[in-house]
Amino acid sequence: MIDAIKDVMKKLILLLLILISNTAFTKENVYLKKDGIFVNYDSLKINLVKNKKYTFEGFGSIGIERTHLSIIGENIRDEGDKPKIVFKPKFIKTYELNIKGFFKEKCIASQKFYLFVKPEPGLEEPGKELIEEEITIIDTVKAVKEEPVVEEEIPIEPIFEEEVITLIDLNTASLEKLKSLPVSEKQAEDIFNYRFYIQFFKSIYDLREIESIDQKTMNRLKPLLIVSHYDDKDEASQRRDEIAYLIERLGSNEGLQEGMSDVWEDYLMTPRNINKLPFSDILNLPNTSPIDAAAIINRRAVGDSISSYRDLRQSPGISYYGAKNIRYYVYYSEQILAKKIFIDYQMKYNDSPYQDDALEMFKESMIRYEDDPGTPGIKRQSYWGFFNMESDRTSIQNKLRIRYLNEWKAGCISYSSKGEENLLRGDNQDILKDSKYYIGYEKELDFLGRNYLKIYAGNYRATFGEGLVMENTDFYSPRKTGYGFNKRITGITPDISRTQEYALRGLALDWKRDNLNAVFFFSKDNKDAVVYDSNDNGKLDKDDDILSYITMTRRFTDDELESAEEYFNSFSDNYNQVSIAPRKDALEEQIIGGHFEYSPFIGTHIGITGYEAVYNRDFVVPETSELKYLLISVPLTDSIYAEKKWKITDNEISSLYSTRSDEVGDRDYRRVFGFDWRTVLNNTSIQGEYAELEVDGNFGKLGDDPKAIIISAYTQFDNLYLLSMYRNYDLEFDNPYHRSFSESERFDDTVFEKLTYALNNTLLNDMYLNSAQPSAEEGIYFETRYQFHQKLTLTKAYLDIWERKSDARRGIRCEAKLEFKPIHQLRIRLRHKHQVKRYDDDQDRNKSRADETELKLICYLSNFDRLQLGYVYATVLQPPYLSILSDPAQASGPDMAQASTLTNGDMIYVDYTHNFNENLKVIGAFSFWQGHGVSFWDFEDIELDFDQKDRGFKYWFNIHSRISSNLFLSLKYKYKQFLTRELEFRKFNVLPDPDEGEYYFQRVERKENILRLQLDWKF
Amino acid sequence: MKRYLFLMLVLMMINNLFSYSILERVTGNYIGNVDPRSAAMGSAAASGGNTLFDVVINPANLGFLPDGFGFQFSYDLMSDSDNRSLPMYNSFDAYVDDATYASNMNTFGKFTPGAFYKRNFDKFTIAASVLYRPFISFDSFYSEEVRNNKNSDFNGYPPIIAKNYIDSQGSINAISFLTAFTYEDIASLGIELSILSGDSDLERKIIWSDQALEMLNTLTDTTNTLNREFEALQVKVGTNININQRFSVGLSFSPKIEFDVKGDKDGVDVEDAVYVYTKFDSLNNPLDSLTYADFSSPMKLRAGFCYKPRNVMRTFLNLDIEFVKWSDVNSLYENELNFYVGVEHRLKNMIPIRLGFNYQTCYSLHEHEGRTFADKVTMPAFTAGTGFTFLENFNFDISFEFSNRQYEALDLFPDSYYDHEELWEYYQHLNLEDRGWENPDTVKETFINIQSSISFKW
Repeated sequence: MIDAIKDVMKKLILLLLILISNTAFTKENVYLKKDGIFVNYDSLKINLVKNKKYTFEGFGSIGIERTHLSIIGENIRDEGDKPKIVFKPKFIKTYELNIKGFFKEKCIASQKFYLFVKPEPGLEEPGKELIEEEITIIDTVKAVKEEPVVEEEIPIEPIFEEEVITLIDLNTASLEKLKSLPVSEKQAEDIFNYRFYIQFFKSIYDLREIESIDQKTMNRLKPLLIVSHYDDKDEASQRRDEIAYLIERLGSNEGLQEGMSDVWEDYLMTPRNINKLPFSDILNLPNTSPIDAAAIINRRAVGDSISSYRDLRQSPGISYYGAKNIRYYVYYSEQILAKKIFIDYQMKYNDSPYQDDALEMFKESMIRYEDDPGTPGIKRQSYWGFFNMESDRTSIQNKLRIRYLNEWKAGCISYSSKGEENLLRGDNQDILKDSKYYIGYEKELDFLGRNYLKIYAGNYRATFGEGLVMENTDFYSPRKTGYGFNKRITGITPDISRTQEYALRGLALDWKRDNLNAVFFFSKDNKDAVVYDSNDNGKLDKDDDILSYITMTRRFTDDELESAEEYFNSFSDNYNQVSIAPRKDALEEQIIGGHFEYSPFIGTHIGITGYEAVYNRDFVVPETSELKYLLISVPLTDSIYAEKKWKITDNEISSLYSTRSDEVGDRDYRRVFGFDWRTVLNNTSIQGEYAELEVDGNFGKLGDDPKAIIISAYTQFDNLYLLSMYRNYDLEFDNPYHRSFSESERFDDTVFEKLTYALNNTLLNDMYLNSAQPSAEEGIYFETRYQFHQKLTLTKAYLDIWERKSDARRGIRCEAKLEFKPIHQLRIRLRHKHQVKRYDDDQDRNKSRADETELKLICYLSNFDRLQLGYVYATVLQPPYLSILSDPAQASGPDMAQASTLTNGDMIYVDYTHNFNENLKVIGAFSFWQGHGVSFWDFEDIELDFDQKDRGFKYWFNIHSRISSNLFLSLKYKYKQFLTRELEFRKFNVLPDPDEGEYYFQRVERKENILRLQLDWKF
Repeated sequence: MKRYLFLMLVLMMINNLFSYSILERVTGNYIGNVDPRSAAMGSAAASGGNTLFDVVINPANLGFLPDGFGFQFSYDLMSDSDNRSLPMYNSFDAYVDDATYASNMNTFGKFTPGAFYKRNFDKFTIAASVLYRPFISFDSFYSEEVRNNKNSDFNGYPPIIAKNYIDSQGSINAISFLTAFTYEDIASLGIELSILSGDSDLERKIIWSDQALEMLNTLTDTTNTLNREFEALQVKVGTNININQRFSVGLSFSPKIEFDVKGDKDGVDVEDAVYVYTKFDSLNNPLDSLTYADFSSPMKLRAGFCYKPRNVMRTFLNLDIEFVKWSDVNSLYENELNFYVGVEHRLKNMIPIRLGFNYQTCYSLHEHEGRTFADKVTMPAFTAGTGFTFLENFNFDISFEFSNRQYEALDLFPDSYYDHEELWEYYQHLNLEDRGWENPDTVKETFINIQSSISFKW
């Protein structure tokens, strides 16, 4: 009795407080229940402090029979006369409290709910009395009893039994349960479908996203529903969401970082412990400098550990960008995605046409200097015509990677470039042979200290030092400094990239511990090679010698090539039979190599790298006097034609490595060895590599063989870095796995590039087109980045001064990019490039000069949308080239300059990125150019495009769709139209008659339609 | 509304003027899909088709249409640009590139009406449908001009000697009767029976110009004709299974169809008119031939799935793989796989965005040095589309398909035919010989296909 009186007194006091605070409000939503029971409700939103306990207590006035209290989305509830819940929020956010109750059958018309919150600790302790002064009234709800309201059309069914109140959870209720709500069957299905096919409910208000649910219906449903926190995304999907933009960025650099993006993507998905990573592994992360890596190791060396990104930033010596780039690749204390098998499948379809240079190579006639020059041309006399390359199939890539954490890894790739047989067609055995695969194991072992072990079988990539001795990729990258975006991953990594010619297949072992690193690798693989008729038997067979490795644009089979050569030979005279040609898998190469590295103190190491490649056939480069006649076809009327065409730059060809020669005798191998070093002194890192190709047979003696050296120094401040680099590569340093810094690729300006029409076999053009080796050069290079101000940054500036070894031509190239950011949403970028070749001799006919200026405006809009506008202006002072036509005064004249000419061109472009939502993005771009002989490089979404000379335009759009949390689709369409020089009129086989001038070189348009499809499935 | 009806009427009236690819003027162009929704999704609809005309791809799709009555009407507009070029050479007689000498751009239109009714019987539903649709089209048109080499310098226009035409008209249409049985929205079985009938009239003409006749009055125009009538029955079966709420699979099968062909080629019965020889003996003598009366459609087996993931936009992913037994048609053909993939996203306002891709292969026959060879021509296509609902029960869908292909072909009108000295200015410089496969034409074709439909569901 006393308790009851106390209770009534408490309520009276509270009522008084309510009146004073004047916070009561009325809700009119009354719902008819069976047996004349009414329920009223409301929900209140309240901000709570994280990790603090709250006690909520609610009750109804005298006409309310029973009260129900819950926190929406938290699955916490209580019911009774005076329900009470204790809640400790985990997040800072607005919580929604729901209160409801039943009317007594015969009660007064107006009733109220009272809700109290008590934040102080202690109230949650059982048995403690409520003290009025400590109670805070946060709100009241007035219950109003009205006459039953019957909604139109929607049959109202009882939901709650009088005895039991059951709230339906929108995120877990079955369809049948949803159908028991006071909604139509279609509405229930719509709710179910929304949850099943669109997303889980985050709040009850998401119901309004459903077309068939209006506000009235939602209000009616509100008291009957709760929304629990629910998501079907597993940890991997969530992680993928977090790093989505980084993965996209890695994909964008695929062309430059062939194969490396996979390695980085793996580490993004399953980061590694920053407190255990060895120096070289930190350095292998993108955009990380040796100084950053040393800063982290230095902290660990004094017994400290890094506990967070904020902590990482505090590491003395680390740069802002270094730390920022590292952050997603590492964890600090708790491993993300501890135990999971990852499977990544990727399919790429691309029907881009051949590049212009390759087109020229394939289309060039293979018939040289026939006896009867009047014979009409025959299209079949070119590789293009013979193989009907007009209808060449598209390139298709299928790639599968499986791994368990960063420990067990396996993968395979089947890549068929344009025109080649793919998985669905052709000889399966050949396709399997050309496919790449690996299986690998990486593990940190505690054995007499911390050890890191990597074992790879199958295809792997090996890179050491600055790439002078070993870096096996088919792709050339100019000015590859090893810093920033031009990074190389050193050590052993799996390889299922598109690299084919320089792929290593075998076994590799990489062992690291605190100050030691030892790598052993073995490879046995067949390589494509240029074979020539060295025994003069009129055939290109297995007894013939090899001139060089070659990476073919399209890998013709031997049968294909032999049939084409037979056909071409049937037209040519005896002097110009095809006597040199590429052959697929002509050379068996067996490599044994290793790398040993010792690090006496942090940031400093000295390493030795070497390999020996043993061949089953001889590399023999004929004497120059013979070589020129082997490569260049000679007309009967001009016996010294090859002498005329052979230039000093062709020394690069005659200096190719021979396994058999008068000087070195006869052997079956090539040996390259070198040593590399690095030391980090405060904020400066000095490193370099020296390598020799053994020619004289004295393996241990330094300086007596063709050599190459590269030395660089990198200094880093918060807003500035400075890179200086010196390189010097001997002409005879012919190491096929050499990929260090250079300005141009090997065979630039040689007959392989300039003389396609006169080569004995036009396919030799590939020697230059796909050359991955740097050209022999000596030069000095400077690069910097300087942030003047928060709004003004010199994002990159470099200067390269170099001399080409083959002809002592000196060149300068410099480029600077300036970015102005007046406000965060707006960037203005200015870029200028200047290049002079043969700057040291104004009288040289080979001198050329090019300038290019670009102004770009980038606007970041809402929802990550982006608009870019740009303008490029370029001038080129072209050196004189020989014309293929005899009379420059003829109508529509020759298409090549006869003397140095200064041409200019410009291009304007715009591109726009629109995000419909987080799962659908469209990028569209348009560009228009007036070249007048100047060409432009255009960086499209994830690839570089070389825009043609003369006038043209193109547009493209790329649709990125995330179909589900693990399925991604990207579809790109490009249309390009440009003017080119092409014979336009039907000639009716009119034979050339110079007097009549039948030749019409008319500017006509060429149109290209390109489709690219990429499908990624990651789970 | 009157305006739309008028437009539709005009489009139907000028239907006969439209044309398609000249490559398939004899073998016909297969029309595999008439539904704009699935067309926008790369024509992938072996499973997950939800409009009436998806039954063309898999008859079992009929089983998962909503209960009641519905109809659909679609219109298909195809534009084909055909650029024919010949190889050109530099002064060293080296092949430089191909130069376009004839460009044709034609448009072709077809319509398809259809209706269905579906009724529920407890756990089973039965649906029936009838369609009238194009099955194979022979419509194509090509023209080129032969000009003299007189006055062709200094931007002068050379006079026309002759105009050449290839004009093909006709189609094989199908009246299809379909029925499908569905069990509890889990599985459906569909059967299609189609009556195929139609005709094709092909005409090849060389019309000399008045100027040519003035120069040589003995010239006479040339006309070749091929007239055929076709009849056949097609049976197609398919099944669709909903594995669960996210995943469904479909399979359809249509056996080889042999057509009864009647007609004549230049007055000779098609049974006796040899099209090409396909087999030869050891001495290269022709043994077995195809005549113009041999006309068949290959067996096709198509399997696909539809995946409905959870996505902030309602999403459907369809993927089909189709096996085409081309060896049914000709022993020189290889069996092929075609791929179709498409996705539909419904944006917040329920406007769908559809994208797709497909990759198909077809064949053409040609002769070289007395023997017959088959050339495989592949054609990738990019598709997109959208749609909207109006008047509650009506749906309007539209799709856009872009595809292109390149292949080599022999000169359609060989040069020796014009080898009359009187017609040419500098006859001594000419070499009017027929170009063989050593110097073929390069043909680049671009297709733009726009399909639209209105459907109604009661």
